[in-house]
Amino acid sequence: MSAILEVRDLHTQFDTLDGVVRAVDGVSFDVARGETLGIVGESGCGKSVTAMSILRLIPPETGRIASGSIRFEGEELTSLSEEAMKRLRGHRISMIFQEPMTSLNPVLTVGTQIAENVVRHLGVPWSAARERAFEMLDLVRIADARRRLDEYPHQLSGGMRQRVMIAMALSCDPQVLIADEPTTALDVTIQAQILDLMLELKEKTGTAIVLITHDLGVVAETTERVVVMYAGRKVEEAPVEALFAEPLHPYTRGLMRAIPRLDVEADAAGTRPRLQEIPGLVPRLTQPIPGCAFAPRCSFATDRCRGEAPPLVDAGGGHTVACWEVGRVRAST
Amino acid sequence: MSDAPTTQPVLQVEGLVKHFPIHGGLLQRRTGEVRAVDGVSFWIRRGETLGLVGESGCGKSTIGKVVLKLIEPTAGRIVLAGEDVTQLKPGAMWTHRRRIQTIFQDPYSSMNPRLPSGTIVGEPLENFGIARGAARDERIAQLFQRVGLRPEAMRKYAHEFSGGQRQRLGIAKALSVNPDVIVADEPVSALDVSVQAQVLNLLIDLQEEFQLAYLFISHDLAVMRHISHRIAVMYLGRIVELTAKRTLFTQPLHPYTEALLSAATAPDPKRRRQRKRIVQGDVPSPAKPPPGCHFHTRCPYAMPECKITAPPLVEVAEGHHVACLRRPVGGDPRPLSVP
Repeated sequence: MSAILEVRDLHTQFDTLDGVVRAVDGVSFDVARGETLGIVGESGCGKSVTAMSILRLIPPETGRIASGSIRFEGEELTSLSEEAMKRLRGHRISMIFQEPMTSLNPVLTVGTQIAENVVRHLGVPWSAARERAFEMLDLVRIADARRRLDEYPHQLSGGMRQRVMIAMALSCDPQVLIADEPTTALDVTIQAQILDLMLELKEKTGTAIVLITHDLGVVAETTERVVVMYAGRKVEEAPVEALFAEPLHPYTRGLMRAIPRLDVEADAAGTRPRLQEIPGLVPRLTQPIPGCAFAPRCSFATDRCRGEAPPLVDAGGGHTVACWEVGRVRAST
Repeated sequence: MSDAPTTQPVLQVEGLVKHFPIHGGLLQRRTGEVRAVDGVSFWIRRGETLGLVGESGCGKSTIGKVVLKLIEPTAGRIVLAGEDVTQLKPGAMWTHRRRIQTIFQDPYSSMNPRLPSGTIVGEPLENFGIARGAARDERIAQLFQRVGLRPEAMRKYAHEFSGGQRQRLGIAKALSVNPDVIVADEPVSALDVSVQAQVLNLLIDLQEEFQLAYLFISHDLAVMRHISHRIAVMYLGRIVELTAKRTLFTQPLHPYTEALLSAATAPDPKRRRQRKRIVQGDVPSPAKPPPGCHFHTRCPYAMPECKITAPPLVEVAEGHHVACLRRPVGGDPRPLSVP
């Protein structure tokens, strides 16, 4: 499969009172046509900043893409004019966020908001755009879509607002949809419906999805390939089955052992097995980290880990990992 | 309740009701009410965790606030360590506050940013006249150590701590007065996975050490299963199922419990194609709950009777309480079929 989006050695930085924060520190990955790629990591790992960088939404007053390349269908986005970016956003690459209420305009009906996007990018007459808005609301299974066109965001439930966001994001048939924690603010029964809907629409439209989340359950159930980030760097990438069958980076392993599991039947009544903790804290990103960023919290770490950043190495089967001690990690249980 | 606790429960709640008025119109007349909690009963033993699980608007947090007497119940009874505290006015409630403490989702918002953390943690000690001066400082240092913070950190301010450390401060403050019961409302929801594990382990250790009873409120089934002994599932102000943790996950009887379990994601890609989702649609507004069983509008197994009769919570098997007309006492526990 050919890559539709190629991110290479991306560095995104922010100026703060404490110094320059290296939010994204040399990240590379590809998104293939029609695939679902998950980017997973904890707060501050740079997963959202990566998404914002792709769409060039880093506020210029405080931050910048310091170096690296982002190519979309072969076209370099980092040097594209703002006018050209505006034509791209919401059309060929679109995005949905965690909290739909903050991205919807409270004083415009949802029909108007979707139709506006269609008119802007496809240049069709207003009536055709309204019809497209209706089709989209119907597609995301909003009941009574004709009437909902004339409702305002506050009249909709959280789950329905997220459906509206998806309808708007897909209204111009984008090649890539970036979804940043799209279900985190939703209840579990609603989350399940939204995830099912996104996957179903992906099958229908062939849009590639970049799903950004902290939730390993969501990653396992919806993505095909996963990038694991830690402290602004990619530490592991693998097909989803391989990642969950044998996580190779000590951080990924730690994450998987730290979550309480619903699907493990081991515990007898009353006994609560201890969760494995990852000791320590995420490093500050204002200081350059010479070695592996996870080394201070890692039980496998050696002097080399602390002094020299490990490169990503191929572990076979499309699985890559940035760890000097991967041999020892693999041998341990 | 026939499976009354063998020992005196440390917290008992009977028929708890909390309605919030809705005001509308030009004169702001009372136009209706939100039935946030609609007749809820449960008890918790010493050293036990009762989990309250449900989606937003189900009333789980309101129960926490009413039990703490931060808001007054509309009806029902709250018995704390054998004493009925339901009617106590704030002044009289004061002495009972030592017995029941709380941990919040976001401890930062409950901490004065201009006070050092040691002072924040030590406030209850002074307020209740438990310790002053050097004795107080010593107790604070012990508390810091017990929750995994360095005693020197007493001089730092809340903003200097990470999210997980702030939750440890919140726990230390709750522990400072040796409570019997701790109401924990989504205490790990705002934390990253790796830190969440640290806090959950700490809560379990403290429970075993001090025989604390936890009323643990969460929307996260996996966290709930990890920490609870018994779990109550709530839907629109009512408990629909209450049973031992193991039974809830191996033999859920209420259709809503089944729906919740089927909707939860698991970190296992092999399971993705096996699942069947059993509910569609949104939770109805608690201001206008459907008549009869609140869940009938989304329930695949609903019968005509479910639209009319609100099912009571009955004990269908030992310790297993269910509010569903299709789950009578002594009924077949196997999965329901669509009528």
